[in-house]
Amino acid sequence: MEEGTNTKFTYREVNEDLINFMTKTGPRYYIILAVVAASAVTLFFLPWAYQIYVGQGVTGLNAPVYWGVYLVNFVFWVGIAHAGTLISAMLYITKTPWRRAIARGAETMTLFAIVVVSLFVFAHMGRPWNLYWTLPYPSHRQLWTNFMSPIVFDVFAIGTYLTSSAIFLYFGMIPDLASLKHNATGWRKKLYTILSLGWRGTDKQWLVQARATMFFSSFIMPLVVSVHSVVSWDFALSIVPGYSKTIFAPYFVTGALLSGFAGVVLMLSVIRWSFPVFRKYITETHYDRMGMMIFFLSLVWSYLTAIEVLTGFYADNTFEWESIKYKILTTPSMQLFMLMIFSNTLLPLVLMVRKVRSCASSMSAVCSFVLVGMWLERYLIVPNALSRKFLPWMWRDYCPSWVEVSITAGAILFFVTMFMVSIKIFPLVSLFEVKEDAGIPMEKEGH
Amino acid sequence: MNDILKRIVERLRDYRVPGYYKKFDYHWTMVVDLDRCNGCEACVVACQAENNTPVVGEKECGKGRALNWIRIEKYVEGEYPNVKVKFIPIMCQQCDKAPCEIGCPVYATYHNQDGLNVQVYNRCVGTFTCATYCPYDVRRFNWFTYKREKPLDEQLNPDVTVREMGVMEKCTFCIQRIRVAKDRAKDEKRDIKDGEVIPACVQTCPTGALTFGDLNDPGSMVSKMVRDPRKYRMLEELNADPSVIYLKRVMEEGSGEGGDEEKS
Amino acid sequence: MRTSVLGLFKYVDLLLSASGKLKGEGYSVTIISPVPLVHEIEHVEGEKKSFLRYFTLFGGISGFAFGMVLSLGTSALYVMPRGGRPIFSITPFLLISYETTILLGVIMSLLGFFAIAGLPYFKGLPHFKGEVECPEAAIDSFGLLIEDAGDDKLDYVEKTLKECGASEVRRVEAQ
Repeated sequence: MEEGTNTKFTYREVNEDLINFMTKTGPRYYIILAVVAASAVTLFFLPWAYQIYVGQGVTGLNAPVYWGVYLVNFVFWVGIAHAGTLISAMLYITKTPWRRAIARGAETMTLFAIVVVSLFVFAHMGRPWNLYWTLPYPSHRQLWTNFMSPIVFDVFAIGTYLTSSAIFLYFGMIPDLASLKHNATGWRKKLYTILSLGWRGTDKQWLVQARATMFFSSFIMPLVVSVHSVVSWDFALSIVPGYSKTIFAPYFVTGALLSGFAGVVLMLSVIRWSFPVFRKYITETHYDRMGMMIFFLSLVWSYLTAIEVLTGFYADNTFEWESIKYKILTTPSMQLFMLMIFSNTLLPLVLMVRKVRSCASSMSAVCSFVLVGMWLERYLIVPNALSRKFLPWMWRDYCPSWVEVSITAGAILFFVTMFMVSIKIFPLVSLFEVKEDAGIPMEKEGH
Repeated sequence: MNDILKRIVERLRDYRVPGYYKKFDYHWTMVVDLDRCNGCEACVVACQAENNTPVVGEKECGKGRALNWIRIEKYVEGEYPNVKVKFIPIMCQQCDKAPCEIGCPVYATYHNQDGLNVQVYNRCVGTFTCATYCPYDVRRFNWFTYKREKPLDEQLNPDVTVREMGVMEKCTFCIQRIRVAKDRAKDEKRDIKDGEVIPACVQTCPTGALTFGDLNDPGSMVSKMVRDPRKYRMLEELNADPSVIYLKRVMEEGSGEGGDEEKS
Repeated sequence: MRTSVLGLFKYVDLLLSASGKLKGEGYSVTIISPVPLVHEIEHVEGEKKSFLRYFTLFGGISGFAFGMVLSLGTSALYVMPRGGRPIFSITPFLLISYETTILLGVIMSLLGFFAIAGLPYFKGLPHFKGEVECPEAAIDSFGLLIEDAGDDKLDYVEKTLKECGASEVRRVEAQ
């Protein structure tokens, strides 16, 4: 048996804490939810409707910078989604004990991040009402999609990721919902009874559940690596000087894990701060381990950034050098680059100190900076490299317009809205895993 | 049975040929003689008139959204009065190994049997992948539904569509004129003669800097012009295999330039 | 209406010893728990293989085949040359097949899980064999359910369970 990270609560307490958290909702929660939802609609959906009606011209895009803030957000949110899967799938395979309390929350974050990603795919298109043409379906014109295009790789990868995440999340929740239905009343009881599909918890069922979780995790782990690699190949398969680097696949995956972990930490901190009951389950040990992961990932990320710049410079290719010069030595990119290096390389160095790692507030501060830095990293790649393509006559700067800024902010609020609604309906903590963590009661020790 | 198998194997081998076409029907090529180009931009105006490209207005042009399929790039060197200006007309290079074609997820741009990179307006979803992948930045986007004030809406060419908002467009080598010539040639059961197809820019150029024709035809004007030692293609090292061939401008003594961007 | 015996245990090692004893005597024993006891049961009874891996394997292979047929087949169906690359290019189509392998593998594993675990398990469905109402076993106790013991053996089973240390023994009517 692996050592548990927490043994201070009983099984019954877990059920009761969760059901109390979900049912006892005060008016303050509803007010905040209403405000967030209204802001999400005003900042995300209304400008987007305006953009669909008037055209992509309301953005700041121009020739040659055809990819702007929408694709930056697209890559950013796919990155956020990755940490959830890393925590639930990869750490399951390595049998890491501290994953148990945070796995469900991280998986929920993944699912909603992928939903936001799909919205950004929609938002960046010129004629979004024809989005379904990128899906391979038999049309009466016998016209399928171009399977050589990196966008179609994206469609498959993100579609598979969405399906697999949703399946993994629901599948993991079945035993929890079966357990919670005994504590619930009213419409909740009916909902949980239906959704838990009559799970009984027999040894045969648990055996196949464990095997299925192992299979899902083994499938989802290479999927995670491939999804962000495929997203990076949207850029790397072009011949644009700032884009076509082979380092992009590992670089983006590392960046995704870094930003995703920072997102998970921030999310858990907000939950712990708002709802003190969760401090029992998400403890300092979790922060300590996640801080170690973020520190390690930031080191890898810094190394990959350095070699991206270094190999570009060393190749002595005129076009590549112009691209690097624009990124590092030209205002305003220079300031953004320095902020990015500070947030992602220098600031996480404080995580070497255990006290900083274990404290929720310091970790939240560091992770907020890391998130900003990672967004800037995507910004310094996607629109920035397009400003300095091959022909100097077409070099032009890019500045996001109010529509793009509003939609970026609105997406965050929309994500928070979805999250706030879902944590009141579905258990945020994986009950059976947390109980397993607390220890299986044996009369005689030494098993 | 053997026959069918042989046909299948032959078909599979065809599918492994890079670019699929072993020979184009007509390999349309444009030759641009940079010695003759004086930067008058008559070709830009002619293209706008022929292909129904909208006029976007001063503000949008300032933002970099001018919708002209052919542009004259001006590179200015030196101070007055020793100014040297170089002009390069750049339109869609109709690359045989076009990076834009691989990017499009919905097959809105592909290579047809005339060696042209065609853009299918009604299939375009507006992902911008083709425009990002293009190394020559020749693709233009319809950012809004552009209005045509009266009486300019009576100026539209009936042979060419007016593109919707959200659709990518680019130079087509006046494919409508190529179509008409091909139809006429098919009716008369012959091949297209040299000089029968003239795109709008070629027709209008006052100095004769632009020449258009079929590279497959050994007697055509362009086949003769590409034997010129001044010939080069833009951004050759990217291996996009463009169909637009430039003839280097011969500079005066003492200019002493070299290098990529200086070729004009 | 069948009568089954349900013994609730607080400690898992007692449960496992009772289960071993009754299984050895030929009763059909089901362990109901709120947490997976896979490790502990394997410790006592040896490693168990599940039928699920055949579902997963089938899903993976069919997914790969589906991806290959989709990409190669549709490229050949409507030949549109693009980018100077061959119609049947290997790398992008392998990538598509990789994604569909995972997609169908995951979906097949889910379906296999439902099939083997017998979910959904509601009254009115053909495979429904009776459900025992026991909230404790879903929250914090571990249950040992002996079904179809035969009416004469019920007392013996109850006695054995009490001897092995059950905290509570009940007779339940399965619905």
